[in-house]
Amino acid sequence: MSKRTLPRLLQTPAVVLLLLWMLIPLGMTLYFSFIRYVLNSLRKPEWTVPSLSNWRGFGNYEYVLFHAKDFWFSIQNSLFIVVSILIFTVVLGLALAMLVNRSFPGRGLARVLLISPFFVMPAVNAVLWINMILDPVLGLNGLAVEGINELIRNLTDFPVLGAFFSMWPKFEAMSFRATQTSAYAVIMMVTWQWTPFAVLIFMTSLQSEDEQQKEAAILDGANPWSRFRNLTLPHLARPIAIVIMIQSIFHLSLYAEIEIVSRGNGNKNLPYLIGEFTSNNIGAASATGIFAVILANIVAIFLLRMVGKSLMD
Amino acid sequence: MPAVAQTSRLGNILWPVLAWVVALLFFFPIFWMIFTSFKTDADAVKPEHLFFFKPTLENYLNMTENYNYWRFAINSVITATLATVFALVVGIPAAYAMAFNPGRRTKDILIWMLSTKMLPAAAVLYPMTYLTKNFLEIFDTHFLIILVLCLINLPIVIWMLFTYFKEIPREIIEAGKMDGVSTWGEIKDILIPLAWGGVASTALLCFIFCWNEAYWTVRLTTTEAATLSKLIEGNRAPEGLFFGRLSAVSTAAVGPIIVLGWFCQKQLVRGLTFGAVK
Repeated sequence: MSKRTLPRLLQTPAVVLLLLWMLIPLGMTLYFSFIRYVLNSLRKPEWTVPSLSNWRGFGNYEYVLFHAKDFWFSIQNSLFIVVSILIFTVVLGLALAMLVNRSFPGRGLARVLLISPFFVMPAVNAVLWINMILDPVLGLNGLAVEGINELIRNLTDFPVLGAFFSMWPKFEAMSFRATQTSAYAVIMMVTWQWTPFAVLIFMTSLQSEDEQQKEAAILDGANPWSRFRNLTLPHLARPIAIVIMIQSIFHLSLYAEIEIVSRGNGNKNLPYLIGEFTSNNIGAASATGIFAVILANIVAIFLLRMVGKSLMD
Repeated sequence: MPAVAQTSRLGNILWPVLAWVVALLFFFPIFWMIFTSFKTDADAVKPEHLFFFKPTLENYLNMTENYNYWRFAINSVITATLATVFALVVGIPAAYAMAFNPGRRTKDILIWMLSTKMLPAAAVLYPMTYLTKNFLEIFDTHFLIILVLCLINLPIVIWMLFTYFKEIPREIIEAGKMDGVSTWGEIKDILIPLAWGGVASTALLCFIFCWNEAYWTVRLTTTEAATLSKLIEGNRAPEGLFFGRLSAVSTAAVGPIIVLGWFCQKQLVRGLTFGAVK
């Protein structure tokens, strides 16, 4: 054994473990996606056991694409959720990173507070927001709206202005468990959790910005906006791309938040739909799973390219 | 230029204030959870006790009775700790090999490892349930959760360690080789002491990710190996009758991790961007 063989063999356990972890379950998903396989069937008990004799070809894919009621909705909704979160986190993240990158009294503590949401476990995040903050009666949302109504009611007693305020409508707190609004709740709570992540990354990157170039620009009379537009933003292009891609991968597989907010009522994404299929129709769940893999891969290819470039330098 | 001086003097007050307001706003939901955890369940939903109330510890004292908190917490500690240990045991030799003895394929292997992290978990939900329940019969065991947590974090662990190891001058490791130190000795006596900070922050970050994991820990357990994620998801409390006690148990579930997170916020960037942002 040469001197270099043993050290190189040291990566084998990791490679083998990850290979098994990837290939076995994914292979099974691929297999199940081509057969008829349901968990309960009185009419066709033979379908309840996975077997090649139940071969269905692309039937499951066809079923999912053209007949399953929520497939297109959940793709559309997945994208809606992911894109909204991306826009909010990147814009907020940029603004906040610039804000806390300056030195000010207590900056260390302010940063620590700002970063904290990122470490909250998703289940707690969702339970906290949907109950204590967004609940239309007992949450802060409900209490705030009630407070505004109360204020307006008191203002109607005023002599002249009262007539004006009595024309105001009684506000009603928005319920975020409803069909149309549950996606907003998810977007809000995930934005809250992931903006700190964007801030952290942008801040790290801002610290490596070329100060001399910036000073030169100030001397040349460039205004703050054009300095941001022409110096900072190009410098941050790569971190922004990375934040977008990493978040896409994480948010395409959101689950706990959707489950806790509305149990998928009116607000499904692909993982949630797979979960629903899994209660009975394994064939369809597997075909949907393959679609989810394809979707994730489209994003992943770009990310891996970027990471790969910076790998060896 | 008086105009510039004026705006910057205004800015000197305005920006810090704004930064603090934003920081406090972001922290507010966590503050509110901690705040509410000291209210009784009855006080927690009364508007007149929104800010002023008689603080109580009863929610914390009754955590075991209400939620069987410690059972879940102990499961979280066991699974996250052991998963982290195993990830390091497998990851350190691998990262060592790739950082100091790279071959032609090393880069591809690293990228491939990362790509396993990008597979959507839901796509293999049923196969995992089927395998562990019907075939291996390890469903709802600590062993399974430790294994899964270790595997899903292994790519990040290897990547982080790799970026730390690469910063160590190769000559130091080579010198050890000249002196006839064994490979194991190189790792144990030279590499780990040198990269101690990197190894520690990798471990810390891996532990945090394991602790917060909310897909497999919920789907692959019922009672025996259920972690805090499962406890909270199982008590989503519609209509908020139990805001007080729910806040207490949530605070207990996330508190330690937030504090740990403060210590490794810098490493988080490296861990989550795979060294691509420095």
